[in-house]
Amino acid sequence: MTTLSHAPASSRPIPNPEKSLITKLHMGTGMVVGIIFCWGTYFAMKAGRDMTDTHNVNKVLLMSMFAWSVGFLVGIGAFIGPFRWLIGKDLTAEEQLFLAGDGQGIKRYFRYCTDHKVVGIQYLVGVMAMLGVGGTMAMMIRTNLATPGSHFVSPNVYNSLVGLHGITMIVAMIIVATGPFGNYIMPIMIGAADMAFPRLNALSWWVLFTAIPVLCSAWFLGGIPTGWTAYAPLSDQAGPGMNAFLATIIIFAVSTAVAGANITTTVVAMRAKGMKWNRVPIFVIGATISVALAIPAFPTFMVAMIQTAMDRTIATGFYDANVGGSGWLYANLFWIMGHPEVYVILIPGVAALMEIAPVFVRKPLFSYNAAIAGFAGIAGLSILVWAHHMYMSGWMPSLNGPFMVTTEFISVPTGLLFLVLVGTMWRGKPWMKLPMLSVYAFIWDFLIGGITGIYLSDVPADNYLHGSMYVTAHFHYTLMGAALTGAIGGLAYWFPKMTGRMLNERGGYISFWFVQIGFNVLFLGMFIAGSEGQPRRVADYAHLFAHANLISTMGAYSVGIGMLTLLWAIVHSWRSGKIAPMNPWGAKTLEWTVPYPVPLVNFDTPPVVTSDPYGYGRSAK
Amino acid sequence: MAHDTEFHVHHDSPEAIGRRERLGVRLLIVADGAFLFGMIFSWFYLRNLNVNQAWLPKGVHTFSTASGWVAASGLIVAALAHRLGEYKRELRNMTSIVVLIALLVGGYLQWHQMAHMPFIAQDDAGRPFYNGAYASNWVLVAGANMFHYLVGAFVALGLVLRGYRTKIDPTLEVWRQRTAGAWFTWIAIAGVLCALATSFK
Amino acid sequence: MSDHDHEVMPPTPGARVATFLKRKDVSQTFMLWIFFTAVFVVLGLWAYPKWMPLVLSKQMQANEDIMIWFTVISAPIAGVVLSIATKSFLNMHRGDTPPEDGIAIRTNGPVVIVWTATSVLFCIVAIVWGLVALNTESIAAATDAPKSLIVDVTGSQWAWSFYYPAQNIHTHTMNIPVDQPVTFNIVSDDVNHSFWPVQLGVKVDANRLVTTVAHADPSATGPLDIKCAELCGLYHAYMETSGAVQTPADFASWVSSIQATGGVEQ
Repeated sequence: MTTLSHAPASSRPIPNPEKSLITKLHMGTGMVVGIIFCWGTYFAMKAGRDMTDTHNVNKVLLMSMFAWSVGFLVGIGAFIGPFRWLIGKDLTAEEQLFLAGDGQGIKRYFRYCTDHKVVGIQYLVGVMAMLGVGGTMAMMIRTNLATPGSHFVSPNVYNSLVGLHGITMIVAMIIVATGPFGNYIMPIMIGAADMAFPRLNALSWWVLFTAIPVLCSAWFLGGIPTGWTAYAPLSDQAGPGMNAFLATIIIFAVSTAVAGANITTTVVAMRAKGMKWNRVPIFVIGATISVALAIPAFPTFMVAMIQTAMDRTIATGFYDANVGGSGWLYANLFWIMGHPEVYVILIPGVAALMEIAPVFVRKPLFSYNAAIAGFAGIAGLSILVWAHHMYMSGWMPSLNGPFMVTTEFISVPTGLLFLVLVGTMWRGKPWMKLPMLSVYAFIWDFLIGGITGIYLSDVPADNYLHGSMYVTAHFHYTLMGAALTGAIGGLAYWFPKMTGRMLNERGGYISFWFVQIGFNVLFLGMFIAGSEGQPRRVADYAHLFAHANLISTMGAYSVGIGMLTLLWAIVHSWRSGKIAPMNPWGAKTLEWTVPYPVPLVNFDTPPVVTSDPYGYGRSAK
Repeated sequence: MAHDTEFHVHHDSPEAIGRRERLGVRLLIVADGAFLFGMIFSWFYLRNLNVNQAWLPKGVHTFSTASGWVAASGLIVAALAHRLGEYKRELRNMTSIVVLIALLVGGYLQWHQMAHMPFIAQDDAGRPFYNGAYASNWVLVAGANMFHYLVGAFVALGLVLRGYRTKIDPTLEVWRQRTAGAWFTWIAIAGVLCALATSFK
Repeated sequence: MSDHDHEVMPPTPGARVATFLKRKDVSQTFMLWIFFTAVFVVLGLWAYPKWMPLVLSKQMQANEDIMIWFTVISAPIAGVVLSIATKSFLNMHRGDTPPEDGIAIRTNGPVVIVWTATSVLFCIVAIVWGLVALNTESIAAATDAPKSLIVDVTGSQWAWSFYYPAQNIHTHTMNIPVDQPVTFNIVSDDVNHSFWPVQLGVKVDANRLVTTVAHADPSATGPLDIKCAELCGLYHAYMETSGAVQTPADFASWVSSIQATGGVEQ
């Protein structure tokens, strides 16, 4: 697909294929065509339908949302490549070069640009926007829960906040490391000129982009009452806002499958000469295992969403017990995806920190093989543990024992991740910069998240804890405390390569302490509330839980202040931060051997790798 | 960001590009396989659970066992014809057309079944619904088959049209035929698995 | 963790361990380990009994025991991680240039093996403990079944209702007698709910048209909070009711007071 490579070596083509349609398309044309498709579908389908029937309402809304997504992709030119392939007139080298955004400055960020570095920045900005929206909703949730009997928001708005905070954050966290760093940094790290399928790379981003307005539309359609898990049959019963949720997930699943296939292929097939598997940087290994795990995991979620959509539009009965359906079917399909998915989120964050630790401790990564065994073990076991989310559902009590066994065993590969990090720190003199601070924060947060996971996986204890605030605190410790901390560490680490400037240190430190202290106060408070017996996802609670909730809310505001500080630091540094040298941290991976701005094909001459990137340290013996 | 002032060309061999594309398609097949797994899991889970005795409520008609095989027939013929074209290169232009026709005819047969479903009932308000979990699952499986027919027909049409073009890198095209073959083989297997599942009423 | 160094190595393994233990950084890490382990042990012993509600059944006692003792068992392992991390944190280098390189320890076979073996052992303890508790519970549920009080529980948006078939009473609060096993048959009228009598320490989902079963052995008297632990729509937060574990005499008089009003609680 990269016929960039077929351009004649002697004369560089000027990327201005004037007659080609692709030069005239951008985000604006995408929006226009998308909106035309959306409204066109809406009015065409509405005509002559009985709109008092909710099935028809759902049908019209859902199809309008998909029409928007398809229309946008038509309008931005996503289908030009496939169409040209169909009629046998493949894109010329000149056109491919134009698509790669050569010489288009800022405009390429608003085009169907195939350059992995552009896609990486698009993901970074997109993720920050999603974290901002999800974080604002978190602040509103905690404000409502600050005192019992609060009526800051109505129960309906509260339930929608819980669900939309959940799904926004889950989507953001799935892409938070593999989106920006997996796209921008990873191909350079392995010495590749671009991703294996540059057009699919652009597709994965722009498909995801189309999901954002769809998800936002949930607010204007009455919200979602189901939480991010969207359990059936509550989702069958839910109002029109639910369609936005379903459409978002279906669109997102397409994006993840495409991105997963692309990243995996790139790492398997496009590593630099000499980069054998035991010389691949650990972040690349982690990101690849993560996306490769997502490839088989997400489609079952898509099945569950399509079934819900069919129940709601054409009156099937997958989840309607009257006609032989069962909510247990949904729960199974959901969690067959849902548990691997938390490791899809976790692994790249940990891997980024494993990339960081050796650089700042100036020691080799301790036991590279244990790190890989840890990731692989987690990924392998994660597909065998899904029903621990269903111990209390009554679906099959006899399987609780076996699922408890598989779940507890995940702590063995997880333990290896700790071993690798503390082994790297052992006897080291760490250079205490922002990225390294994240490693320490990760160790504390993930330790708490991990140990509390051991209680939760034990069926008798889960009898009490399931569905309580304790669970909420536990998974925030793993997803936010571990994975988001890893991603923020990664951002501080790779910011110089992605923007050419250093991240403002003072802002970074202030943010770090506000976020970490606030985070621990917030979720330790929630552990207390959960132990006391407060269910999760409640808009209101008894006076018994008042203290714990007030503590949590104060912690949440501290996190909010810290995150805003980080946002300021990023914006300020990006615009006018200190110019970064080529290799500010003295690291040994390939991305630090290229200048900023990174050339279109990354390397002047393809690099040859002769060792792994962890050759720090005085000789051992 | 400043403009890149140098453009260096990497020579990826058509062989390397071809292998890469095949790997990408295989990974997407894994994703599609997980989707198929989800559907078949749904089929047997609801069938065994039989909530409210409503897998097949009393008096509901089903499709015959043969109908699943009729629906899969186009996929199977297409995969075999494509294989033949791989084996005997001189027949390729002819087999490509056979593949396309098989997929179009098979797609029509699947469409015909979906237009004549015997298990749709009407509720008290006179609105149609799928009566029983068998009915719900059947329409999902048929929809997935239909999706396979559409994507397959797109690829087949491309191969037919491209067969008459001369300006195409022949080595890369051989790889693309193989990659398309991976997809055709997969959708045929998926069709067979769906036909097997739907024969359990 | 490793005694590899550029210093001269002692000849025998025993001597190497002795040298290792005498090192200052090792003794400091050890002190930190004791500190963190103690903190976690105290936290487990103190916090959970303080935070968790009244224990009114054998099941609740089993839950609380697990919370406490898993914390205690995991304390030394958490201590290892935290002590090494803290020691390295305290050894930090600041400034704008990186410190000089540390010792190139690529891996250490024995450490990896010991670490993995320890975590496997820890897992096995957790699993065996859990399986024994689970097994005890299911044996109790089976043997107690004949003498159990039966309560049919129905969840609907957004209230719980109860029917006692032997007593033939319909109620919206749930009282049960102490020292008699109780079996809950749970079903939902609409979407999924999750029946959670908090102080009994049991929980199971309510599904439409399918009955699920939970079993408890009330062991002390006291007030009960009954909540819904599965998001069930608009007023999920308010889907709660109260009840009590009572003495048999109190329970009997509560039952007869309801029977006196036509078998329906007012």
